[in-house]
Amino acid sequence: MPLKNTNIVSAAQTKFGALKGVTFREMFAEAVDKATTQAGVPKKEIQAAFIGSFIPEMLVHQGHTAPLLLDFAGLKGIPGTRHEAACASGATALRAAIMAIESGIYDTVLVAGVEKMTSSSTAKVTEALAAAADDQFESSIGLTFPGVFGIAAVAHMQRYGTTEEDMALVSVKAHKNASTNPLAQFQKEITLEKALTPRYVAWPLKLFDCSPISDGAAAVVLTSNEKAKKYTDLPVKITGTGQASASMDLCNRSDLTSFSSSVDASRIAYKMAGLEPKDMDFAIVHDCFTIAEIIASEDIGFFKPGEAAKAVRDGVTALDGDRPINPMGGLKAVGHPVGATGVKQVVVAYKELLGTAGPNQVPKHDTCIVHNFGGTGATCVVTVMRRSDV
Amino acid sequence: MSNKPTIEEYLKNIEERMFKAYRCVDCGSLMAIPSGSCYECGSNNIDWAEVSGKGKLISFTVIHVAPDEFAEETPYYVAIIELDEGPRVSARLLGFDPLKPEEVTLGIPVILDYEKGKSGKTYLAFKPA
Repeated sequence: MPLKNTNIVSAAQTKFGALKGVTFREMFAEAVDKATTQAGVPKKEIQAAFIGSFIPEMLVHQGHTAPLLLDFAGLKGIPGTRHEAACASGATALRAAIMAIESGIYDTVLVAGVEKMTSSSTAKVTEALAAAADDQFESSIGLTFPGVFGIAAVAHMQRYGTTEEDMALVSVKAHKNASTNPLAQFQKEITLEKALTPRYVAWPLKLFDCSPISDGAAAVVLTSNEKAKKYTDLPVKITGTGQASASMDLCNRSDLTSFSSSVDASRIAYKMAGLEPKDMDFAIVHDCFTIAEIIASEDIGFFKPGEAAKAVRDGVTALDGDRPINPMGGLKAVGHPVGATGVKQVVVAYKELLGTAGPNQVPKHDTCIVHNFGGTGATCVVTVMRRSDV
Repeated sequence: MSNKPTIEEYLKNIEERMFKAYRCVDCGSLMAIPSGSCYECGSNNIDWAEVSGKGKLISFTVIHVAPDEFAEETPYYVAIIELDEGPRVSARLLGFDPLKPEEVTLGIPVILDYEKGKSGKTYLAFKPA
């Protein structure tokens, strides 16, 4: 049965990028203020907070972040919990918030995500990200996070003939979409030739196949049907949610060309919403690497296995294509402050569904799917949303 | 079981170049990296298993940007190997030029080896058979 009672009534993000001089807690407070006070939701009406953040212990030497962040953002006293599932931290926080609303425990809650990364060295960030993989049996032999997706890319190229150029085209599309997104880290189009610059990070993945190191925060407010009208005439309904896990270790997976957690979580979310992939007008997927977007768009059923690269080449996933993917520029060009990403994806979906995405507006925008996955794909959360007047 | 495998011993075996896998005593299924329970039947009745060291190359990458611990070793191969006995393991891949990955063919037979890292740690590795 589709979820009945969960509405998004506001959604906002900070700019993503290297936000020099802006700290972890300041970014969080900015996103919260935009999604509450500035959106007509008084902070005193927020009853609980669900916060995604991956690894502030390593990046900004701060644990026990929920009360700290709530205190700083003017939400002192309400219950708050930090959720961690690597790059899926934001969506696991969202899911907990959905369950809290559906259960009737709360009427109005905050979901937020934040990560401060650029104050650490690239080596330190690489080490921190590697903690999202199995430290004893994979990170310990020198397998990095880009390396995980390099291995997936090699397997996908071998089985389906996907090429380095196909992956580069995902990057070109991301940068094109982000060029008109004022909150993106990179607001500049790149050529295919530039995307193919052979600066390898983890062969066959090059610099322009990888999402950047970023700072940023995002926040959304969820409310029950009864309260939603108080804040907006046109809420967005969350009708399906799915979450699944897979083996942490790549070596324990039988297929490296697909992520089983993405397949499983999306099927659960579609079933709950009573919809199918063909009913989705667009998708927001977790493009931490270009190959990840190609595989994710197959795993969520937008394309058959092995056919996503052709769809990219044919412009099907472009802003004006039949199946737009990541219309605001994705993780690749907007940035990937890990814990904020899963919440920022919801911010993008909200704007697109309401038709307020400006130059990045997709033509059909009634229903969409949001795919957020963590680390090696060991966690995946998928959410189906539609505008409330549909 | 009197000799239930531990992760500490598993890692020590690699350090001593005497790799052993895990075997489920109840269903016979093999695991190339330690698990607290059998993937097939869920049993926690597990023992050591000798393996042939033969396998095939499933996929790989070449790491160019690495954390400090491995930075001096870049570029290096990390591969997924399927052992002839069935289970897969992540390991270093030796015997190929890291700057010519296009010369590596998936599916080729490989055999167990070890690599002493610059950190002094010994990595599980495979080379062309």
